[in-house]
Amino acid sequence: MRLLVVEDNEQLAELLTKGLQTAGYEIDVLSTLEEASAVLRTTFYAGLILDLGLPDGDGLTLLRDLRHRNNPIPILVLTARGGLNDRVQGLRSGADDYLVKPFALEELLARLEAQLRRPGSLVGSSLRIANLEFDTQNRQASIDDQPQVLSARETAVLELLMRSKGRVVSKKQVEDHIFGHSGEVASNAIEVYVHRLRKQLSERGAKVQVHTIRGVGYLIAEEK
Amino acid sequence: MFRFKSILSRIVFLHVVAVVITSILMSLALSWLLSYATNNIHDKAMQEQAVSVGEHLRALPDGSLELKLPQDLLGLYSQPYGRYSYAVIDGKGRVLFSSLGDHAALFPADTGSSDVEFLQQRRGDATVSGASIKKTVGDQIVWIQAGEDLANRDVLIDDIVADFYRNVGWITLPILLVLLIADIAIFRRALRPLRQASEIASKIGPTRTDLRLPTEEIPQEVRSLVSAVNRALDRLEEGFRIQRDFTADAAHELRTPLSILRTRLDLLKDEKMSEALRQDVDGMAHIISQLLDIAELDSFVIDPSEKADLRSVAAEVAEFVAPLALAQGKDVALLGVDQPVWVKGSPEMLNRAIRNLAENAINHTAPGTTVEFVVEDNGTVSVADHGPGVADEEKNLIFQRFWRRDRRKPGSTGLGLSIVQRIAELHSATITLENRRPKGARFSLRFMPLRS
Repeated sequence: MRLLVVEDNEQLAELLTKGLQTAGYEIDVLSTLEEASAVLRTTFYAGLILDLGLPDGDGLTLLRDLRHRNNPIPILVLTARGGLNDRVQGLRSGADDYLVKPFALEELLARLEAQLRRPGSLVGSSLRIANLEFDTQNRQASIDDQPQVLSARETAVLELLMRSKGRVVSKKQVEDHIFGHSGEVASNAIEVYVHRLRKQLSERGAKVQVHTIRGVGYLIAEEK
Repeated sequence: MFRFKSILSRIVFLHVVAVVITSILMSLALSWLLSYATNNIHDKAMQEQAVSVGEHLRALPDGSLELKLPQDLLGLYSQPYGRYSYAVIDGKGRVLFSSLGDHAALFPADTGSSDVEFLQQRRGDATVSGASIKKTVGDQIVWIQAGEDLANRDVLIDDIVADFYRNVGWITLPILLVLLIADIAIFRRALRPLRQASEIASKIGPTRTDLRLPTEEIPQEVRSLVSAVNRALDRLEEGFRIQRDFTADAAHELRTPLSILRTRLDLLKDEKMSEALRQDVDGMAHIISQLLDIAELDSFVIDPSEKADLRSVAAEVAEFVAPLALAQGKDVALLGVDQPVWVKGSPEMLNRAIRNLAENAINHTAPGTTVEFVVEDNGTVSVADHGPGVADEEKNLIFQRFWRRDRRKPGSTGLGLSIVQRIAELHSATITLENRRPKGARFSLRFMPLRS
């Protein structure tokens, strides 16, 4: 999968390329708006990583231009501008996501993956926390490389938690994920599934912990 | 020397002095004019009397003179009446005729005198004032004198002169009062734009550098001062702007090198080393974003129509900070109402305020304890920790920029609470800080609730 990185800082461009290549992407790097605009007319890319402050102008103009031409390419904006108005303007101009520098490579990859909507097709199709692994392709959890049998609902909850590794999943998100938007959900149903999942994981020796954040949601993390 | 604090009292005082001096001078001048006029009338009347007496003088064939006054004139000069008198004197100073009992001249004869003379002479208790005219009758030159006893002068004229001071005195008092009232009114009116200007001036501060004093209605005399102040404010604003821009630019410029550093660390093989360095970079990035927040807040103008759901903002923040807390062996919980709580304000700003309170609370709460977010339907959100609490003498200090209780403690910039305070100010929200029992602190932000 080929991505275009438009970043004028050579060092950062080089490091990004390295990081993204490690994650299994093929990368082209350009450093000006003009080049990027020309190349995007003729070459197909799966996604665009765009820095806003470029030597020949503001990346937002390229963004607007692309959207104006109905180019649906997923665009992830990288910027040193983190102000409220900058963010709003960036998203309004048609960016799919917005990352403020400095960012963690992991975060960039996660956002990119979300934008490309092709989970499982890349390296990192299996999610891992400590000795717990979840293969998103065949939806299989394993502990210490031993495949585990979990109920469909437990698997669904685990998948959501693993996909949101490092972030809190709200109770509402779990509800939507498991039951969709239809049907009445008993108020404690989610708690019951999470409780069961927690029990299963600890009984089978997974070194992870499913935290309940009261009033907020759930989070999976390495056991301390 | 006594100095007036206000221009108004100075003007009133000087005006009183001026009016008093003017009224004294005016009454003196008027009374002088009045007595001059009455004297003039008197002199004229005397001259006329002398002339009319002279008309009845006739030279007899023997060379002597005869005076035959008609009845009405005789009555005028009769002794019992005693008010007017006449005398006729010849060239040698002899008294030819006189209405006086002792047949004397009214005034000493002065044959060298000119045609008409006005004279005054004391006679016993009385003062006689009158005129003396020169006339040639036959071949003789005579002086005819007519006079009036001043003690018997016209009562009417005397009354006018006597009443004059009192009358003038009574007139000047209301004039003085009217002038003063008019002065005060004019002055207060003239000062009104200045009062409005000072109200505006009181709002100018580091966070409101865009305000200027209005010059349209300012009196011309003060306008140059006001314009000069406005120009000074322009320069100050420029200074503030340069400083703000510098902070923002510097923070921006630091972000790209930090990104490079961060990415390099992410690609490092030595996981242990890179983790520690990553934390350092994240700490630095945190300071930079807080500096940018402050620079942005200093020039932020809030949209009055914006509204935010305090409950969902608090939930967002709790979600955001929960991994941070868990990583430190701490917990967060969101309590209070489940329904949306709508308040006036910018959701993004509220998020930043609550996030800073939350980060502060997580930093200070003891390991194994929970930071509690509570949203109430009156528009209050509070963040409570189980930390050491805040000593009374530090309660104001903690909101100052870069203030830290323990400068050696990592992860704290000393900027968080000043950001919270600034956002609260922008939203007219109140911050309360209380210590909990047995230990801990609770920060509450109360926003203006929207009733829908």
